[in-house]
Amino acid sequence: MTAASISQDDFLKFQEYFYRKTGIRFEDNKRYFVDKRLVERMGHTGSANFREYFSKLRFDTDGVEMQALVNLMTVNETYFFREQYQFDCLVNSILPEIVARKKDNRTIRIWALPSSSGEEAYTIALCLIERWPGIADHDVEIISSDIDTNILALAKAGLYSARSTMHVPESYLRKYFRKTANGFQIDDTLRGAVEFTRVNLQDPTDVRPYRHFDVIFCRNLLIYFDDVSRKQAAETFYDALRPGGFILLGHSESMSRISSLFQVRKFDDAIVYQRPGV
Amino acid sequence: MALIKKSAAPRNPAKDDRAGARDFDGLTRQLDEHDATARRWAARDLAVHANASAALLTRLQRENDVSVREVILTSLMRIADPAAIGGLVACLRSEDANLRNEAIEAMKSLPVEVAPIMRGLLVDQDPDVRIFAVNILESLRHPDVEAWLVEVIEREPTVNVCGTALDLLAEVGTSASHDALERLKTRFASEPYIQFAADLALKRTASMSDGQK
Repeated sequence: MTAASISQDDFLKFQEYFYRKTGIRFEDNKRYFVDKRLVERMGHTGSANFREYFSKLRFDTDGVEMQALVNLMTVNETYFFREQYQFDCLVNSILPEIVARKKDNRTIRIWALPSSSGEEAYTIALCLIERWPGIADHDVEIISSDIDTNILALAKAGLYSARSTMHVPESYLRKYFRKTANGFQIDDTLRGAVEFTRVNLQDPTDVRPYRHFDVIFCRNLLIYFDDVSRKQAAETFYDALRPGGFILLGHSESMSRISSLFQVRKFDDAIVYQRPGV
Repeated sequence: MALIKKSAAPRNPAKDDRAGARDFDGLTRQLDEHDATARRWAARDLAVHANASAALLTRLQRENDVSVREVILTSLMRIADPAAIGGLVACLRSEDANLRNEAIEAMKSLPVEVAPIMRGLLVDQDPDVRIFAVNILESLRHPDVEAWLVEVIEREPTVNVCGTALDLLAEVGTSASHDALERLKTRFASEPYIQFAADLALKRTASMSDGQK
């Protein structure tokens, strides 16, 4: 079977269906990427043609095939300390402000998504332990979510290549990583400090339990969504945050272009967005 | 104190302000709750109900909380059925400037759904609605945007509507609009702004062939 077996009509049909389910829309310039993966799943499921595969996908009551397809279609490339200025902002400005207005003993909650293979969530954990003195006085919970279950398994395993860890300070590598045959594994303490969960941001049932966060990292995800899905995601974040909570987006993303729900906050290290109502 | 991990999935909120019934009837009732969070959640969950447009539009007319209004509009954009589109069009006629602007912004994101009614909006009897329709075209991702604007400048009698269309044609137009621009200049020969804006549009689109949009 070849990629040519996906016709333009097939592609459009799949494009619309996948968008409705995930909020991710593949434009025509992604045909090669999409066709290649569809053909792979067609082969894996023994489907003779796209029509047969699409039927299996739509009537797949347990959602297993849809999840397998999502796992293939999502992009998972990141590394430790990517866009480090935002982690600096977290420990230098955001957390001190949260602590200053916190009146009780409650846990500070941080949500990082998409988790991809875990580098961002573990970077947050490293920064809290190594660079934020407040960790001595406050409990912090880090939850990291992704739509891709395969990548979540990798995140939990905490195995990384030398490329992925190239920006990790040598002292951290020695202290928190174990050398393996192909790279490094992050230590059990840090692996035990992050909760990894599967979430489809476009599914209201999935996101419903995610509430009362103080900080959300959502970097380089919304760029894959169309306008309506971006707005929907912004509104999900609004309700997931406590009043006064902060959201950090990727450097090329701007909440101001998506939604008017958040206020812009300019800190020394970064521009972030804040839910009003402190 | 330390990094901690809960043993289970994230907890449900201690105060369950979403405890009401999540079916259509329950959600439409919750659109009128006193608590804005409950209204916001109801508006969001109604996005999966195809027949929810009327209830959302009714609430939108009297909703004062900005965050709830935004979620209502997103749900209407998600449903995007004829009732939702018709309701957004009705908002263009509202005396409430915020509501009008919100409807324009929402319709900009719905090129497929708005396209069939665009010609009708561009010849609406109310010139303000015709201007809002041109505003919608400003960032509507649709291949007919230039053709619609050319139709406006060919027949529109109101100078302000033509001026708005000209501003946009200068941005998105091509040399395909040149004849219409020249005719507009003739039609409004005594209107300095039209002369200025049409000349600017002619200049800016001079090097743009149809394939370079």
